[in-house]
Amino acid sequence: MIDSILLVDDEDLFHIVFEDACSLLDISLSLEGIYSSDEAEGRAIDWVDNPSNKPDCIFVDLNIIGSSFDGIELVRRVNHKYGNGVVIGIISSSFNEDEIEKAQEVGAQFWIVKSDDIEPRLEEFKEDFAGYQDRTTPFKVYK
Amino acid sequence: MKLNLNEEARSALIDIGGSRGIFIEGNILKLLEPCDDAFKEYIDTALAKDTERRKKRLEITKQVQDKNKELEEKAQENDDLMSELKEALAVAEDAKEAALSDLDVMQKKSQFQLIGSIVSYALWVIVGTGIITTFMYIMAIYWGSTETTLIGNTWSNLFGILLTNSFSIIGTIMGVKYANKDEDKE
Repeated sequence: MIDSILLVDDEDLFHIVFEDACSLLDISLSLEGIYSSDEAEGRAIDWVDNPSNKPDCIFVDLNIIGSSFDGIELVRRVNHKYGNGVVIGIISSSFNEDEIEKAQEVGAQFWIVKSDDIEPRLEEFKEDFAGYQDRTTPFKVYK
Repeated sequence: MKLNLNEEARSALIDIGGSRGIFIEGNILKLLEPCDDAFKEYIDTALAKDTERRKKRLEITKQVQDKNKELEEKAQENDDLMSELKEALAVAEDAKEAALSDLDVMQKKSQFQLIGSIVSYALWVIVGTGIITTFMYIMAIYWGSTETTLIGNTWSNLFGILLTNSFSIIGTIMGVKYANKDEDKE
């Protein structure tokens, strides 16, 4: 089970879906949801000094309405600017190959396609998670 | 990390669960240590209830999400229709303006044509009157009429008036022709 997850998504309803799906599938013990990439960047800055606050995994939406930058830029900043080494990836309803490639280039470890039936993808992700932590599992798209 | 509750707390939780149907919910249940069979049963019941509730909530949330998506799609379709309607309205307004302008031109044109015809006929009447009067004056001179002085004065006055009016009419005709030429260009 993943100890802690941070979800960065602007959609309220998806927070509920994600929380319930994670709980039902025993994916995580604690889950926190935030609504903007700016706030997520603030957290990443804090983790530099307080690494114990760092979650095990971050799920980032691609288009976060009301934020200064999108999910791919957030992944880039978390990976390259603050160097947190946290497992991070995109969760989006989009399945644009260019965007997926960009996400991979900035260090996203996975891309989960949001849809009504998200549970099987999360279950598959749960099985692969250990590989993401030790960086042995290559970039994967869950669709 | 597991939480070990003392016997008093465990029995209190079991009692409340049994008598009032109130159970602990959420992920904290996954951290509780089932110290004895009764508490294990309590945790299992609480977990089952929590799972049931979450399943229902997940189902409802998904339905709401679907409805929201449908509404968003409908709103988008509505916006598209509205913009199409606006475009069609703008085209219709342009066509109406063009038609009104054409109608105005046609009306002006027919008015000018009418004026032109009236003026032409008036000119012919004037010229005809001039010719007849001159012919009568010549005839009076030729036949040696005693009224030549009176006819001569009348002819002179009449011819002056006719000449003045003719220039006025010719000016009007030229104006009308010029105006018609401009309308044709438009």
